[in-house]
Amino acid sequence: MTSATQQEASPSHAELLYQAQLRKERLFRAHVGVSWVILLLILIFLFSGQKIQIGQLEYQTIQLDSEFILKNLIFIAGGLGQTLLISILSISVAVTLALLAALGRLSNFPPIYAISAFYVSLIRGTPLYLQIFFFFLALPQLGINLSGVVAGVTALGLNYGAYMSETFRAGLSSVGKGQREAALALGMTSSQTMRRIVLPQALRFAIPPMGNDFISMTKDSALVSATGFVHELMWRAVKVGRAQFNNLEALIIAAMFYWALTLILTYFQSKLETRLAKGDR
Amino acid sequence: MTSLPIVKITDLDKYFGRLHVLKNINLEVPERQVVCLIGRSGSGKSTLLRCINFLEEPSRGAVEVDGIKVNTETKGRERHQLIHDVRLKTGMVFQEFNLFPHMTVLENVIEGPVTVKGIDRKQAIELAEQNLDSVGLLFKKDEYPLRLSGGQKQRVAIARALTMQPRVMLFDEPTSALDPELIGEVLNVMKKVAYEGMTMIVVTHEMGFAREVADRVIVMSEGKLIEDGEPEKIFNSPQDPRTESLLIRYKSGGG
Repeated sequence: MTSATQQEASPSHAELLYQAQLRKERLFRAHVGVSWVILLLILIFLFSGQKIQIGQLEYQTIQLDSEFILKNLIFIAGGLGQTLLISILSISVAVTLALLAALGRLSNFPPIYAISAFYVSLIRGTPLYLQIFFFFLALPQLGINLSGVVAGVTALGLNYGAYMSETFRAGLSSVGKGQREAALALGMTSSQTMRRIVLPQALRFAIPPMGNDFISMTKDSALVSATGFVHELMWRAVKVGRAQFNNLEALIIAAMFYWALTLILTYFQSKLETRLAKGDR
Repeated sequence: MTSLPIVKITDLDKYFGRLHVLKNINLEVPERQVVCLIGRSGSGKSTLLRCINFLEEPSRGAVEVDGIKVNTETKGRERHQLIHDVRLKTGMVFQEFNLFPHMTVLENVIEGPVTVKGIDRKQAIELAEQNLDSVGLLFKKDEYPLRLSGGQKQRVAIARALTMQPRVMLFDEPTSALDPELIGEVLNVMKKVAYEGMTMIVVTHEMGFAREVADRVIVMSEGKLIEDGEPEKIFNSPQDPRTESLLIRYKSGGG
């Protein structure tokens, strides 16, 4: 019975191979982690103001004004709330618009289809920076005065909505024709089919890219500081930096906050993605 | 077999663009009859089946299901309503199962009764569990379709269609996407449904099933019904040379 013994032996062989592969993957992750720490140390060293003697020559790495940093850290950090608020408001506007625009593209009614295509084209064809200024600076000329936050949220929401509508469109088309047919064959109306069968699957498909968009949004929200009336991270950093000629320190502080925010959000994003992947799809 | 027809198709034509895929089809299926539609791929058998519940819009002609008649003259809201009514009378099983992946097995089966018919959820669950039991999958009711084999998926799809309590079941190549060893369990369930008295129209390549279970076999070729009769007659003494060559292909393991 050679075949039987082989069958008994093969699982342990497979198990060994699997273990070896796991070890290899773990080792790779460990090496990446160590490299990250080294790179971070190099970065810190570059800004540590250390003096280095190489032969006759003396070098000094970049010296930061620690007194300024300590004094203004809290003030700049105070902008985190505004940054998050703008991002959350804008992404809500964006998701709503994106969904409408994506559904509009499925419409058989020409004006609806045209409106959604027109919106996406117009917004994607112009810079976000211009759009923010348009709502804040150009509209007052027509007698419409928007606050910095409202103008910023409107512009960011419209802008991201146009880009995200493509994500939703991809999500909607990822749901196979067979799903619609099965729903229709059960006697569902087309709106029931959309609500109960197509949208839940399309949204699940669109959640990971939506997370990415939200993370981008937290950084693009910095553009709103250009209006001068929204006291988020970037605005605060520029304000104190310019006033005291400490732009270097101020911008580094802001950069660190943005980066930390991104790292935290990315962590949650990847958790969400693994949960969705494990799910029932 | 004198009962009134559940499905009646009159002078039906279907074009895909310039392609004439169904040519003046006339067909009556009486209650409790099990009809197998056979033919080469591209002969129009699936399209004909899909015209019965209007997943394909016929280009011309009339379809009548359990007394509800939709023809070319029916337009607008009335047509919409009638098509809806026809779909309530027909259950469909697809080649690719088309279970809803975001719902559990039970949710798949009660979706129709609850959303479409507005039946009380508790009552729908009772009905669904009965049907899941009869296809032998009650123990999988809380699983998601992803975790089922192809054969199990198709059996759930049959339970889902049956729970709508249709007057006629349409099967569109229900075993063609299955691994050979899983075909039997699906055919057995279909056999059971047939013996319980359901009217069935089955597009299939399973000649064994057609021979054993069907009351009537219809052969299609190039958009026409070329032969129509009891399985015995079709399989043993085919009249049309095209039927003969089709059967030879099946015997040699083709199709």
